[in-house]
Amino acid sequence: MLLAAGVAIGAAVMIGVRRMPPAPAATPATLAGRGGDLVVSMRTEPASFNRLTRRDASTELVSILTQAKLVRVNRASQAVEPWLATSWTRSADGLHYTLALRPDVAFSDGQPFTADDVVFSFAAAYDDRTSSVLADSLQANGRKLTVAALDAHTVVVTFPEPFGPGVRILDNLPIFPRHKLQAALAAGTLARAWDLKTPPAEIAGLGPFVLSEYLPGQRLVFVRNPKYFLRDDRGTPLPYLDRITVEIIPDQNAEMLALEAGQTDMTTDAMRPEDYAPLHRAADAGRVRLLDLGVSYDADSLWFNLKPGAFAQDPRASWIQRDELRRAISMAVDRKRFADTVFLGAGVPVFGPETPANREWFSADVPQTPYDPAGARALVASIAGGQSPRFTLLTQKGRTSLERGSAIIRDELQKIGVVVDVVPLDGNALIQRFVSGAGYDAIYFRAAATDTDPALTPDFWFSFGSAHMWNIAEKTPATQWEREIDTLMAKQIASSDLQERKRLFVEVQRIFAEHQPAVYFAAPRVFVASSSRVVNNAPALIRPQLLWAPDRVAVAGAARPTH
Amino acid sequence: MLSYLARRLIFAVFLVFAVSSASLVLVRLAPGDYATESLGIAAHADTAAQTRRRFGLDRPFAEQYRDWIVRAVHLDFGRSMAYDRPVSDLIPERAANTAVLAFTALAMATLIGLPLGIITGSRRSGLLPDLIRIVSVTLLSMPPLLTSLFLVFLAARTGWLPIGGMGGSPDAAGGRFLDVVRHLVIPAAALAMPLAAMFERMQSQAMSETIGQPFVMAALARGVPRSRVVWRGALKAALRPVTSIYGLVIGTLLSGSFAVEMITSWPGLGRLMLDALRARDVYLVAGCAAAGSVFLAAGTLVSDAALALVDPRAAE
Repeated sequence: MLLAAGVAIGAAVMIGVRRMPPAPAATPATLAGRGGDLVVSMRTEPASFNRLTRRDASTELVSILTQAKLVRVNRASQAVEPWLATSWTRSADGLHYTLALRPDVAFSDGQPFTADDVVFSFAAAYDDRTSSVLADSLQANGRKLTVAALDAHTVVVTFPEPFGPGVRILDNLPIFPRHKLQAALAAGTLARAWDLKTPPAEIAGLGPFVLSEYLPGQRLVFVRNPKYFLRDDRGTPLPYLDRITVEIIPDQNAEMLALEAGQTDMTTDAMRPEDYAPLHRAADAGRVRLLDLGVSYDADSLWFNLKPGAFAQDPRASWIQRDELRRAISMAVDRKRFADTVFLGAGVPVFGPETPANREWFSADVPQTPYDPAGARALVASIAGGQSPRFTLLTQKGRTSLERGSAIIRDELQKIGVVVDVVPLDGNALIQRFVSGAGYDAIYFRAAATDTDPALTPDFWFSFGSAHMWNIAEKTPATQWEREIDTLMAKQIASSDLQERKRLFVEVQRIFAEHQPAVYFAAPRVFVASSSRVVNNAPALIRPQLLWAPDRVAVAGAARPTH
Repeated sequence: MLSYLARRLIFAVFLVFAVSSASLVLVRLAPGDYATESLGIAAHADTAAQTRRRFGLDRPFAEQYRDWIVRAVHLDFGRSMAYDRPVSDLIPERAANTAVLAFTALAMATLIGLPLGIITGSRRSGLLPDLIRIVSVTLLSMPPLLTSLFLVFLAARTGWLPIGGMGGSPDAAGGRFLDVVRHLVIPAAALAMPLAAMFERMQSQAMSETIGQPFVMAALARGVPRSRVVWRGALKAALRPVTSIYGLVIGTLLSGSFAVEMITSWPGLGRLMLDALRARDVYLVAGCAAAGSVFLAAGTLVSDAALALVDPRAAE
């Protein structure tokens, strides 16, 4: 593994900071035909076939292939689209959504889909004995929704309070077959249902594919679900593909080699900057298509431990939690150079948690910190009180962009008189330090966004949130500006007026930029690669970039539509 | 002899116990746990606590360790948290894959290394023996990790062989069996090449010494053809050193092919253990370590027994 990493770093050095040329933003759509196989690689195997209990990317991929939801957020356009629900209406008070379900839909085992399956799926996700990983993502402002079946094809979803994103939240819940899992829920054993020992024939879903074979440590094979209900605009039954084989290749270098050699058609993750050069050769030869998806939603950030009292016995208490220190750090780093070096020419400067990728919620009006090392030095001198500022920066070992980024931060801060001791830690150990809120000065890390709508990432913005990095799960807001953000976010979430929500969120971002509880430097551009035979997918920035709508993906050379 | 083997058996049991216990303790004491790993950075405290309760991670470590020991005595190594399956279910299927790889590599190493060792040991000079010696020394200095990286790179560039996985697809040309064989070539060769070099060097030295023995000289003086003396008479006597380490090599191969499995995506015990380590799946880590040490202990035992048979003084 070390050598593999060495090879990767070598490749990175070879391509240097060359700006990558633009690539097509989507694969051709005109060749889509029915039939054909696709081979996809994935680095880890699923922990379970039960999405209720696992949130790893592999289990999620199985769910994406085999299950359907009431609505689907189009990962490319970010619009909410009907899926199992054909339409919905909202009550005047904004609390109740009535959803009409698609009639004549059946699970892959032939059992009809009804409103009872929707009610069951919510009950399963909220069941305490199941301790579902989906429960947190199905709450509006920290409270559960209630769901009732009006008839076999109508459900009413009731929110505990007005909720701006509305039915978008339903994209978080796959619909499970009540007839298969009801007994397990009643017995309190749902958490252990559909484990990896379950015969594939036992797993029924509403998604475009069904699992036909699982070889531990090797591959999963999915074949077309003949009961899948969607058709394309020309009336051709979906999915286009006959079969998707997911090969498990644990090493990312081997994964890229397999793609380059034509032994797989795509990966389920984005490329690293260092993978670009070797794959570019395959692209030049016409074997591989490189796709530039644009700037990532996620950016690396640095935050200090702002928990009150965290440095009570520390002589650095007078300056280490001050806003001025974070502002000085923000001013000391040349973001353009940082982006070029850390992401090997494929990054852009960013100044806050929302990157330009988030077209709906990013605002160019939010103040941006200028590069001003002299100002930064003066600011540090003004708060240090004669001390030589020094702190430890934890980062995740093995993530090359984080390791490169923390090295640059160390070097840049040295120029303004701040000594930084960079300590790379194993991911689990890093999270442990962060969650405990003790035993760290500062962390440099990248947490992936789960949704682009800020109302669906409340744990980051609210002071009581579990992803409020600098001081998690505060009982009451520790500062006045956090209180203001809490108030604005509560209004923002409750509003059903999109323009008002945007205005409020710009205010939130302004306060954030003023205090910079987390300092952002750069976001990478996201590149994915697929073999040139893959057509008709709409790549998205969120994982799995090329397979979020597997029913639409096709391969060139498959049979033409027969309608 | 029997008491010697009994002593070695007791040592083997102690080895398995010590290795699995140490791995369990070390993984449990490392910062973080399965809940932080599986739920990620933004998990709610309640959700994390629920997960810890579900897997018993909220109990004192001494209590967890005591229960694990009691169960392990009954060959129950606990339940994997990452896979939510008994560890004793997960280990055999992966151990079988590792065994296929290890025995194939051993067969390749034996079939290549021993004959080449006989050639170099029975001829003092010449282009072929010199070439074999150079290649052997080069391969001996290359760990399997490097050879597997090189072979994977070669396969990717040429397209001659699959670069990863175990194959076994019924749709593959030639059927499931041939597909597995094609996928075996690279990982088995990566393991076999340094091993073949080692066998060649050992066999060469043993053969060289045997060739100088009076019984060989006498046979040659009587006019027996050299090839017959070397391949029949001298070979039998020169096999002892390699035979005595064969068991140990088997154990080492079965417990030590982890790096090759990772590079070549071979679904064996090594990959399972790495996944378990990443997930902080303490019971699965301990189970994998126990399986690895069982292989090593069994290999050592076989090696000791073989040595005792060849040279009874070793049992004293």
